[in-house]
Amino acid sequence: MMRVLCVALVTLLAAGVVSAQQPEFRGRALKLADIFAAANVAASRGDHTTAIARYQELIAAGVHDPDVYFNLGTSLAQSEDYPRAIFNYERALTLRPSDSKASANLRNAEKALEETRAETEGEASIQRSSSISDALYQRFTGNGLAYTLLVANFLFFAALAWAWARRSRARGLYALLVSSAVLLLFSALGLAVKSGLLREGPRAVVLEDRVALREGPDPRARVRGEARGGDRGELVDGDRDFVKFRVIGGLEGWAPAISLGRIDSDDATH
Amino acid sequence: MIRPLTFVCLVAIGTLAHGASAAADAEVEVILNATPREVRVGETFVLEVRANVKGGSLEDLTLADLKKYPELDMISHQTARPMQVSFGFGSGMKVESSLSHQYVMRAVSPGTFEFSPAVAKVDGKTYRSDPLTVVALPSNGAAGAAPDAPAPPREIGEELSGARYDPRAFLRTVVEQEDVYIGQQVDLMIYLYTRVGVSGRSLNPSKPAMDGFWVYDEQITNLQGSVVTVNGVSYRAYVLQKSAAFPQRTGELTIGAPKVAFDIGSMSLFDAPKRIERTGVPVTVNVKPLPKPGPADAVVGKYSVRARLDRGTVRTGNAVTLSVDVTGVGNIQDLRIELPPIAGVRALQPVIRDEQRFYGKALGGTRSWEWILIPETPGGHTIPAIEINYFDPDTQQYGSVSTQTLTFSSTGVATPAQPAVSPMQAPAKREAAVFGPIRMYSALTRGASPIRERTSFAWLLASPPLIFILLTIGVSLTRRRKRRKATTAAVQRALIHEARAALRGNDPRTFYDRIVASITHALVTRTTEPVRGLSNAELRTRLVAAGFDDDLVRRVINELEGADFARFAASGTNTEEMGRCLQRTETMVERIHRVRGKA
Repeated sequence: MMRVLCVALVTLLAAGVVSAQQPEFRGRALKLADIFAAANVAASRGDHTTAIARYQELIAAGVHDPDVYFNLGTSLAQSEDYPRAIFNYERALTLRPSDSKASANLRNAEKALEETRAETEGEASIQRSSSISDALYQRFTGNGLAYTLLVANFLFFAALAWAWARRSRARGLYALLVSSAVLLLFSALGLAVKSGLLREGPRAVVLEDRVALREGPDPRARVRGEARGGDRGELVDGDRDFVKFRVIGGLEGWAPAISLGRIDSDDATH
Repeated sequence: MIRPLTFVCLVAIGTLAHGASAAADAEVEVILNATPREVRVGETFVLEVRANVKGGSLEDLTLADLKKYPELDMISHQTARPMQVSFGFGSGMKVESSLSHQYVMRAVSPGTFEFSPAVAKVDGKTYRSDPLTVVALPSNGAAGAAPDAPAPPREIGEELSGARYDPRAFLRTVVEQEDVYIGQQVDLMIYLYTRVGVSGRSLNPSKPAMDGFWVYDEQITNLQGSVVTVNGVSYRAYVLQKSAAFPQRTGELTIGAPKVAFDIGSMSLFDAPKRIERTGVPVTVNVKPLPKPGPADAVVGKYSVRARLDRGTVRTGNAVTLSVDVTGVGNIQDLRIELPPIAGVRALQPVIRDEQRFYGKALGGTRSWEWILIPETPGGHTIPAIEINYFDPDTQQYGSVSTQTLTFSSTGVATPAQPAVSPMQAPAKREAAVFGPIRMYSALTRGASPIRERTSFAWLLASPPLIFILLTIGVSLTRRRKRRKATTAAVQRALIHEARAALRGNDPRTFYDRIVASITHALVTRTTEPVRGLSNAELRTRLVAAGFDDDLVRRVINELEGADFARFAASGTNTEEMGRCLQRTETMVERIHRVRGKA
């Protein structure tokens, strides 16, 4: 009897807490949904300036959703702001690597940027990531790899324990051991790639057409080279309003932080 | 030894003295010559100044009148300085040297040019040549002016318009019409007046700013000068720019100040040239609107128009070319023609070609249009007259010209046009990138930390290996205990077996020895402490502490005492007693193994 009373009391308390939290949550969700709907309507009408502002409002409110990034990238691409479109497609693909449409749009934006630049300059190319690890784990999410790692970890040690405790030499057990070990290594390496352990800093995209890379974090410092809009690289250091950017090609220098978009960052909005 | 040396010194002194006397008697020849001495304007001649010196040192050679005449254009200059040394028994060592300047000159205006003698200085003495006279006769064509360069006024008085006067060189801008209609041609000439020699290669003119004008520049192929007298002083005048300018808006338009820079000075390698820069003055032109009333589409100039079709009959759907040429004086680029719509005929965008040229001073030419006309319906088609309205500034009258009406006919039914290139062969067009559509639904997920950054993930990840390690330890301990137990039991069995063998062999000493060993082994195994050497009281205490009950303790002690006694008094024992002792021992060992330790 006592046990029944306790369970009932806990249930009532939990229900009270949930009901107290729901109105705020619902109100916020509705508001965000309204902004999203307004942005979509503006984008559908071709008013991409309004649409971009609305999508950025959502991101500023903490929305970290691949569909929002996709729509923002699409509106930017329609406005021919290809570097920022590339940046937002990259963020969408970071959250949902299996998004084939976002991948296609990213390729289209890169192609459009190259063609636009080639028309005026004769030749153009964008420096994009070419590492094998990035290509290998391109279509896996970080959470998916984390779950895989947990399962493979459990399977591997369970099989190992079974084999050791029972002194079993069954083929099936060995197959399970080997396959779970391979899966464990693969997912562990993937998680290391996704979490940036193999990089020197977070990934970033150049947002302006031309960004001077200087020898120091100062606008008067000598220019070491130039990065072009859409170029990918890593942020290896920071100092006040400047960041040290290493382009995929190897060129490294200081640039204003506002001219670069951090792909792996949650709080940066551009 | 002294005599030969003295002789050599005397010979040397004598040689030097002889040389000095030879210098005093240097043979010097100064020559001033022109080849030919009589030329026509535009022709070149070589002016040579040479000094030949034997037995002396030439210090200087000058021709004072070299740059006296601006009518003579110096084209090139060469210097030669050969030297020769000769020895002779009669006169000793003699140095022969010469210096020669050769100037290639061109007469740009007729006249008689008298050169005073060239002067050479040899060892401080002055030697002169004969004077020279070169005659330039008028050329067969116009005298003085270059064929493609209009000559400026030959005499300019005190009033020098469009220029900032300078005694050595200045620029002058000449605009022939300073009050014009919008679209009317303004003739612009920019001259360089100079009294110093100008190297064509170093001449660097800058064009004046001409905002509000459409400008057509006539190319100046070579630098030709003419002689002009300004305030009684002779100048060489070069045409730097000749343009036809057409004002594009009304009001006062300003032609900016022209600039020029050029080198003057010696042509030799040893004298650096001097850079001279000059800037002219801006000139204002007053531009009036076209007089009213008049057609709104009138262009300034005077034109004629001609139109033609390349064929009179064509299959429906095939093309006919309509060509319209407008020729005349004026800025033909102002001409516009809108082809009126023709019923049943589709007209493509025209191709426009311009051909501009000067008719004397006036710029004109021909503007041609070519339309591709495609009849879409069979039958006759009429191209209406095309009219051009113009304003002639010379007569200040409006006029118009028009083409005649043209007709052509098309026959047959239109067939759909076949592409000239099959789709497979067509060149790839740049495809516009497609980015849409946008997504109408989103979960609007907010920033959630990835699983790998949660604390539970680390625990979940660490759990299997930890459990595995604990399990390994537990199993290892169990196995070790089992193995140990198995070993103890085996020893026990071996001792009992040996006791049984001793019983069968009627060997009481060995038998009781194995019995004691068996009980002692069981006690050591159970208590994990040595029990040999203990007194009965100590053994009792230890066994009680290890959880043995009193009965078992008493039995163990009695059995050990009995076995010890029998071992040393084996003759008093019989086989039956030994058999009973073996059974008791086996029972006792089992009881010892079953004893549980005290909590």
